[in-house]
Amino acid sequence: MKQSKVANLYKSEDWLSVWIGFIVIAVACIAVATGAFDFSAMNFKTWTLGESLTEAQSAKIVPLGQQLASGAFWIKTLVTFGVLGLLFTIGAKLTGEKVRKFLPAFVGVFLLSIVVRMISAEFTLNRYLEWAFWALIVGMLISNTIGTPKWLKPAVRTEFYIKTGLVIMGFSVLFSNIAKFGLYGLGIAWLVTPVVILFMWWFGTKVLKIDNKPLVITMASATSVCGTSAAIATGAASKCKKDDLTMTISISIIFTVLMMVFEPIIIKACGMSPIMGGALIGGTVDSTGAVAVAGSVLGGEAEKAAVLVKMIQNILIGFIAFFVAVFFATSVGRKEGEKVGAGEIWNRFPKFILGFFVASLIASFVILPLDGGKELVSGINKVLGQYKNWCFVLAFTCIGLDTNFKDIIHQMKGGKPLILYVVGQVFNILLTFLAVWLLLSGALFEVPVLD
Amino acid sequence: MKPLVKHILRVTAIVLVAVILGLVVWIMLNRIGLSDSLDFGAGAYYYADIPEFDKIVNWDGYTARLPYWVYLVLFFAWGFIVWKLWKWIDRK
Repeated sequence: MKQSKVANLYKSEDWLSVWIGFIVIAVACIAVATGAFDFSAMNFKTWTLGESLTEAQSAKIVPLGQQLASGAFWIKTLVTFGVLGLLFTIGAKLTGEKVRKFLPAFVGVFLLSIVVRMISAEFTLNRYLEWAFWALIVGMLISNTIGTPKWLKPAVRTEFYIKTGLVIMGFSVLFSNIAKFGLYGLGIAWLVTPVVILFMWWFGTKVLKIDNKPLVITMASATSVCGTSAAIATGAASKCKKDDLTMTISISIIFTVLMMVFEPIIIKACGMSPIMGGALIGGTVDSTGAVAVAGSVLGGEAEKAAVLVKMIQNILIGFIAFFVAVFFATSVGRKEGEKVGAGEIWNRFPKFILGFFVASLIASFVILPLDGGKELVSGINKVLGQYKNWCFVLAFTCIGLDTNFKDIIHQMKGGKPLILYVVGQVFNILLTFLAVWLLLSGALFEVPVLD
Repeated sequence: MKPLVKHILRVTAIVLVAVILGLVVWIMLNRIGLSDSLDFGAGAYYYADIPEFDKIVNWDGYTARLPYWVYLVLFFAWGFIVWKLWKWIDRK
């Protein structure tokens, strides 16, 4: 029995994702701290399909042909493939997969992921939808037309890639950001967020009577925390189905585009102060990029307030995923009166969450306090950000390859998930507005000055 | 749920989906809501996805007045209350 528990450490996908994440983080730390080698992963620069752009927009465009003709591009592609291919192949071998089956399949999934990243770097597609959406589309196009080839299936390991990506992402979650906007930020981001989650949990499970609890909690955290990233973390923590994650992320991405455009217009029309408008955007718009863009429409102060509030919400991802994992391990699926012992809770608990927290603690309390730690953590996160994205692109391509359109329609259950999202988001906006008004209108507290 | 309510719910959802998708395509075609000075958009899901994110997010324009531990205590205290509330809602 003891031996099998030890073997779990190097044979279970959960633990292996932790070790792979740690290896990538450690190598990135060494590369950035010493400057001895370039560990950055391949990333397409923005290209265009020929849209007419302003001078400022055109300045950062690199034609696709020029990118593909560059030697540095292919070297980085090889480094990315080498690192991820080696680590995931070893991981797959340790979980009992045959290398001769996994490796060609991984090459196939990796090539599809390159296509996804290329599509999502196109100017317009990049600014609105980006990789998660296109990964799902590319995967689903294959699975629902020619069908996913059998030889590709050994590398269709969604959870493995997601968990590894989340451990890597843990390094970018800095606890010190909790105090970045004082009690104002904590009040807007932390008081409101869990209340919205509880409201959506109650509304989804008790009012709409959705029996799929992982779907409800994944959608609730995507709505209240920060969209795609929160959905990935909570979805993995609650062990939700791939279709649930697909649906949640699709809804969140599409509504984010709408909110990014219309929320600043409505805020302006209401005559709200920039700091209040920015904080409202930061607390309600799902993705961080959309928050910065929507905030900038209202001016510099609004953009700063928006980003500050969002940064605090970004920290919440780990905590919420942790408590969701504990909740599902202890409460969901338990019979009336049944007690779940500590051993059983430990068995059910997703271990990658621990990896996520350890990575976050190391970045926050070991590296950040060092002399020049801020720049070091920032440099390391620039490298890790791309590896995290590669893991997630691999995962979402796999989800697409595993998804049937009919299953998605079945999952819609007469539109209940959509209603859950819309009602939850409206509640989120109202409650955030209340918190913003109480804290930043000057009616009760002094209005802070953002330099 | 009654069949009529179910039907209304389904039709509402279909209409909502069609309107929303139409709006999003229109926004994308006209590239509405973007900022010339920012080299990203809604597709940057997480802060580390933003190009040169340190210029946007590593900014200290506000100095917190209370010691850091106060924020930590408040953070965990509220987390504990909400956790208990969640368990209670689920049991009911």
